[in-house]
Amino acid sequence: MMWLSGGFVFRRGESAYHQLDPRVKLLISILMFATTLLAKAVYEMGLVIAFMLAVATVATVLRRVARTMLLTATFSAFIFIVNILVTKNLETSSLYATRFVAIVVSTSLFFITTSPDELEQVMKTFRLPRDVVFAFVTAVRFIPVMMLDTVQIMDAQKSRGLELDKGNVFRRVRNMIPILIPLVVNSVIRSGELAEAMESRAYGAVPKPTSLVEYRASTRDRLVVLASIAFFVVVAYSFYFVPPLQLP
Amino acid sequence: MANVLEIEKLNFTYVDTWKKVVSDFDLAVPEEEVVVLAGPSGCGKSTLLRAVNGLIPHMYGGQYSGSVTVAGKSVKDTPMRDLAQTVGFLFQNPENQIFMFSVERDIAFGLENLGVPRPEMRKRVDEAISLLGIEHLAQRAPHELSDGQKQRVALAGVLAMRPRLVILDEPTSLLDPRTAAELVELVGRLRKETGATFVIVEHRLDLVTRVADRMVVMDRGAKVLDGTPSQVLFGDEAELYGIAVPAATRLQKLLAKDGAVGTDRLMGPEELAAETGRGKK
Ligand SMILES: Nc1ncnc2c1ncn2[C@@H]1O[C@H](COP(=O)(O)OP(=O)(O)OP(=O)(O)O)[C@@H](O)[C@H]1O
Ligand SMILES: [Mg+2]
Repeated sequence: MMWLSGGFVFRRGESAYHQLDPRVKLLISILMFATTLLAKAVYEMGLVIAFMLAVATVATVLRRVARTMLLTATFSAFIFIVNILVTKNLETSSLYATRFVAIVVSTSLFFITTSPDELEQVMKTFRLPRDVVFAFVTAVRFIPVMMLDTVQIMDAQKSRGLELDKGNVFRRVRNMIPILIPLVVNSVIRSGELAEAMESRAYGAVPKPTSLVEYRASTRDRLVVLASIAFFVVVAYSFYFVPPLQLP
Repeated sequence: MANVLEIEKLNFTYVDTWKKVVSDFDLAVPEEEVVVLAGPSGCGKSTLLRAVNGLIPHMYGGQYSGSVTVAGKSVKDTPMRDLAQTVGFLFQNPENQIFMFSVERDIAFGLENLGVPRPEMRKRVDEAISLLGIEHLAQRAPHELSDGQKQRVALAGVLAMRPRLVILDEPTSLLDPRTAAELVELVGRLRKETGATFVIVEHRLDLVTRVADRMVVMDRGAKVLDGTPSQVLFGDEAELYGIAVPAATRLQKLLAKDGAVGTDRLMGPEELAAETGRGKK
C-alpha cells in the first residue's frame, strides 16, 4: 500500500520535468522502458538506472523514487533467487532482478510527475471513449475519499469491539467483512449521488465536449522529444551492436 | 413579474412503490425570489426538487401527472441538457458533486459537457470564481479543500451554467454552524448579483429566514403552509408540522402577546433585546 502510494501517486511539483507535456513524459518513460529490455549486461542496466535517477533528480522526486527502489528490491531479491535456482546463472539472474527495478522506476517516474488531469489528456490523445476517460478520472479523484472512508469505518468498527488483527488468517479475513460491507454500501450511495449530479450538469449533452485547458506542445517539448529519441537511438545501437565489455 | 417556476397539480409515485410522494402540489415562484422549503424528514422535499430540475421524470421513473414549468419550458418535455442550463442543483454532500481533479476544471465541467467554446468557457469560469471569491482555490485538488470550500466550488460549478433558477437541497447539513451561516449569506448576495431565483431546502431556519422572502411547508407530499417566513412561523400550525421554530422567534411570539414587540417581521436575538430595553444601548 505504501509502496503503491509512494511510487505511483501524483503529487504536485514545480520542476521543469513536471511542466513537460504529459505526452512527452509518457514517451520518455516508454523509451526508458524499452532501453531496459535492450540492456544485456548488468552494468548496462546499472547505467540505465543511473540515468533514470538523474532524470528523477531533475524532476525533484529523487527521494520518492529511491524509496520505491528500495521497496522494490524485496520483490527483486525474490526474482533473483528463483532465477538462480532455475538457471544457475549469476549474470542473467542479476540482469532480470535489476531489470525489474528499472522497469518499476521508469513507470513510477511517469505516474508521480503526471497529474490525473494530464493523464486524462493522454487518454484523450489515444481517442478513448469519453465514458472510459471519465470513469478513470473519477476513480482517481475518489481514491483519497475512499481511503478516508475506510479508515473511518475501521475506527468505528474497532470502537465497537471489532478486533482486526487477532486470530488466524481465516479469522482475519472474516473480520474484514464488517469493514467491507459499509464500504460497499457507501460506494453505492455515492455512485447514485454522482449520477444525479452528472445529469444535472449536462453530462453527455454533446458527443464532443470541449475542454477548459488546452495542452499544446511547446518548442521545449519538441526539443525534448527530438533529444530523447536521438539519445535512445544511440543507446539502443550501442547496447545492441557493440559487444558488452568483458569485466576482468 | 413572470414566474420562473410553476408547478401545477403535481403528483408523483416512484416506480415499483405504492406511496404517493408528491400529491397535488401547486407552487408559483416569481423571478428573484428566495423560497425556503421545509417539512419533516421523508415528506418529499428532495423528490419535489428532482421534479423541478428534471431528474424526475428523466432519470427516475414512476407515475407522474401534472406539470412543472421552468422559465417557460415544460420539464417533462425538455431534455436534461437544456434543463441543466436553466436549473442549477446544489446537493447536500459537497464531496459527491465534484468530479474533476482541479477546482477550475470542475467548475468548467458543465460547460465542457455542453461543448461551450474555450474562450467563452474561460470567461464564465472566471466569472463564477470571482462571484464566489475562490480565486485562491482555483488550482487545488478536491481533497485539498474543506467541506465549506467544496460546497462553494460546487456552487460555482452550478452558477457557471448561468441558471435562472438555483435549487439547493440541505446545502449546509454537513457544514459547521459558522460555515453554514456564510453559505446562506452568500445566497442572499448571489441573488442580488446574479438575479437568479433560489429554492432552498434547509433545516436551520434561523439562518435561512434572514435571506428568504417566502416559506413553504410540505407535509406528506402536499403543500400545507405558504407565506412570508414571519406569517408561517408566527402562525400556530408550523410546530404541528414538526418545523423547528427558532428560539428567537418563539421568544418574539411570547413577547408579542403583551404587545412588547410587533410580529410584522422576524427579529434576531440582539434586536429583541434592544426592543425590550434590555440590550446594549
Ligand atoms: N429513489 C427512490 N425510490 C423510491 N422511493 C424513494 C426514492 N427516493 C425517495 N423515496 C421515498 O420517497 C419519500 C420522500 O423522500 P424524499 O427524499 O423526497 O424526502 P425528504 O423530504 O427529502 O426527506 P429528508 O428530509 O430526509 O431528506 C420517502 O418515503 C422515501 O423513502
Ligand atoms: Mg431530502
